[in-house]
Amino acid sequence: MRLAVYLPLILPLTALPVARLASDHLHPRTATRLLTAVAVVLAACSTLCLALLMVVGTAQVPGNPLPDGWADPEVRDEVPLVRVSGSIAIAGLLVVLVAAAVVLRRAARVRRDALKAIDGLPDDGGVAVLPDAEPYAFALPGRRPRVVVSTGMLACLDARERRALIAHERAHLARRHDRVLLLVRLAAASQPLLRPLRTAISYTVERWADEEAAEAVGDRRTTAHAVGKAALATRRPARPGLPAFAAPASGSTPGQVPRRVAALLGPTPDTAWPAPRSRTGLAAIVAAAGTTVSVVSALNATVALFVILKAATAL
Amino acid sequence: MTDRRRRGSGSGPRTPRRGPGELEAAVLGLLWASDAPATATWVQQRIGDDLAYSTVVTIMSRLYDKGLLTRSRHGRSYAYQPVSDEAGLAARRMRQVLDREDDRAAVLASFVSDLSDEDERTLRELLRREARDPEDGRGG
Repeated sequence: MRLAVYLPLILPLTALPVARLASDHLHPRTATRLLTAVAVVLAACSTLCLALLMVVGTAQVPGNPLPDGWADPEVRDEVPLVRVSGSIAIAGLLVVLVAAAVVLRRAARVRRDALKAIDGLPDDGGVAVLPDAEPYAFALPGRRPRVVVSTGMLACLDARERRALIAHERAHLARRHDRVLLLVRLAAASQPLLRPLRTAISYTVERWADEEAAEAVGDRRTTAHAVGKAALATRRPARPGLPAFAAPASGSTPGQVPRRVAALLGPTPDTAWPAPRSRTGLAAIVAAAGTTVSVVSALNATVALFVILKAATAL
Repeated sequence: MTDRRRRGSGSGPRTPRRGPGELEAAVLGLLWASDAPATATWVQQRIGDDLAYSTVVTIMSRLYDKGLLTRSRHGRSYAYQPVSDEAGLAARRMRQVLDREDDRAAVLASFVSDLSDEDERTLRELLRREARDPEDGRGG
């Protein structure tokens, strides 16, 4: 297996250029799908290799339940630097598992509580209007997917902008953006190098929904105004005791909203793939190559370790 | 407030003055009794007191601003409906969920994320430029 087992741990770096370029130069739908696929595969390979290292690393820990043969010099020689990396991998995998569990539990809890909050409201065409002066709107997936919007949010938009807002949230529900976001949140939790991809995707899904909303209402400017006005209305002074509210959400780059508005005021994005020679095209090729190498390395390492351990156990 | 009182007493001298909030309560009561969403005209005809149409509209939009009424387009005006206890309760529960999540955008696909000061300036500039030169921004 040799060094191949380490490659997937650093290959996520190859996805960074495309994460930076795709959100501005590709159609948001294309960008979302490309970046999500890359993030999920890279995270899976990285975690797999961490698990392989952990297996070899654990075998040297006294009192481990693994076969003694797995700690043989023959096995350890197969993985360079395993004495150090094995121990790090144990801690690393533990961190990954805890981080993933936190992401999943939090997503489940928020969704459950939000669904419980609107339980019993009449299903008004898939939109739940809540009487609250504070402006907010979001998509709530579930068995009965709903757009949740406060009267405060509706009050700051005109009729056409409201249609754009509802269309935007419906696009999130129809395209299952919640799943995309959950996947990339898990990916970023398991491999910190993928965090820029999570940030990029949290932007591209909003852009995707913006584009669908613009198409639904037939007017890009109305949609741009809806986003801009809603963001300005949502702006609130820091609340004492709740400093996190005032800070930009950590899942989003500063400047997300202005970029969305600017994009909507510009022309409809091209759905074509980038030309291979453009910077975005090159970045996409680098990411695809990195992902491929990552998959091959991870599989190679898995097979190699399987063979070695089988031989060691038989001894 | 002063507007409403002046109009209320001016148009019907024999009507005793209403205390603040009394008209709101009367409007809410009417809407509660109505099965369907009601317009300001409908309310004006039933509330008595010879209230001016604009007064009724003012009261109803104030109730709407407070989140006590919801409204929908009805021709050229709005039809209003009282917010049910159910909806009010749902809103309070939802606010608890949202307030607990310091990073709600990370969990729920929110329509807009928070703005930094810099974002706000950029955004206002964008919208201002676009308002000045609307054709410039028109895309396909």
